[in-house]
Amino acid sequence: MNKSIYISIVLVAVILGLMMAFQFRTTSGVDRGVPYGREQELAVEKRQLEKDMNQLREEVDDLSAKLEKAGKGYSEASEAFKSELSKVRLYAGLTPVEGPGVEVIIDNLPETSISGGTSSFYTIKDDDLLKVINELRAAGAEAIAVNDQRIIATSEIRLAGNHINVNLTKISAPYKISAIGNAVTLKSCLEIKGGLVEFLSELGITVKVQAKDNILIPAFTGGLQFEYARPAQRG
Amino acid sequence: MLAVFGLILGIMLAYQFRVTREIQRIESVQTVKDLAIQVDQMKKDRDALQARVDTLRARLDSAAVGPLTPEMKDELEKAKVEAGISELIGPGVEVTLNDSNISPRPGENPNLYVLHDEDVLRVLNEIKAAGAEAISINGQRLLATTEVRCTGPTIVLNKNKRLAPPYVITAIGDPDTLESSLKMKGGVAEALQFWGIQVSVKKMTQVTIPAYSGGIKFEYAKAVI
Repeated sequence: MNKSIYISIVLVAVILGLMMAFQFRTTSGVDRGVPYGREQELAVEKRQLEKDMNQLREEVDDLSAKLEKAGKGYSEASEAFKSELSKVRLYAGLTPVEGPGVEVIIDNLPETSISGGTSSFYTIKDDDLLKVINELRAAGAEAIAVNDQRIIATSEIRLAGNHINVNLTKISAPYKISAIGNAVTLKSCLEIKGGLVEFLSELGITVKVQAKDNILIPAFTGGLQFEYARPAQRG
Repeated sequence: MLAVFGLILGIMLAYQFRVTREIQRIESVQTVKDLAIQVDQMKKDRDALQARVDTLRARLDSAAVGPLTPEMKDELEKAKVEAGISELIGPGVEVTLNDSNISPRPGENPNLYVLHDEDVLRVLNEIKAAGAEAISINGQRLLATTEVRCTGPTIVLNKNKRLAPPYVITAIGDPDTLESSLKMKGGVAEALQFWGIQVSVKKMTQVTIPAYSGGIKFEYAKAVI
């Protein structure tokens, strides 16, 4: 009789001890756990930095080679300079480019499909196009054009009356957005569940995304006039 | 006596068990710390590389002075401005955007009072339409390929540049046109202010727009000749 009481007391005490220690450790462990998201975020940042640095190293090599060439003589210098100029023009969007990518056709629903309506109840706005372009940029698009208007750093996409202005040129539906980049990534960034294609379809806009092996994107054709901006003087 | 012994035994058992598991956990904390240090170091290296690229470009410019026609030099200068790889100064505006100072009433969607990437996009678009020649946000140059994306309370630009509010958009252009395009009736500023989002536009006689501080290289797009 006495024995069994002792045994149960010991058992209860052991369990109680286990629970106490467990509780204590759990509480102190809480702030030490690293959220999974932060680690992943850092990993993404690291990968992007690696890419940045590789590109910069190539740029350094390229510029050094040109500089060396420029020191050799008159004709070499002019050649080096021309190749630098065409490279900068490529990044600025002043050169037509081609490559793999996607073509996105965005259109209002045909009027006949709206029962009793005289015109469609939702027309595509500048915001919608802006969002699509922003999404494509985030997915790594290198060159983008809307209805063959090249989107450069200063291009606007703006509602003006019944049409949309891009690079001060009127465009109207259907809108064709072409983007060069990784075709699979570009396509999936738009078609992802809860993504823009789904969102725009709910508004009554038809969106067709088509991956293509080769897309031609024209150069920016407007004039580049800088009235206000001038290069900062260095040291 | 026996009970005390049992209690201590239990605590020891549990402790031992947790310590063994903890060892693995601490390792993962260490990895993250290492990763953070690595990322910091890489950022410094990247900045150093960028500085090197800048000096090399400047040296190439001065080396090319001889064989260059003024037209070609002008062409390169313009292309560099458009490509975002030169630092610029000029008159313009400074637009500051910040989250709403209105606290949403219970039951209201607090999301409505927070600045979104779309809002920033619209302000940028408006500034471009008003003829801005160069734009930066919190010191990040806006390129043709620059995206603006919300990730939690911050926005991400140029793939990995994380910015926190307030967002200061600096633009070079005609200060009057830029200011009035934002402040006009029914304009972007009014629409945002409805939700209490703080928008302030300041005309500036001189602003500085930094050059893009990353590598540019097209992997997919090739020039058509």
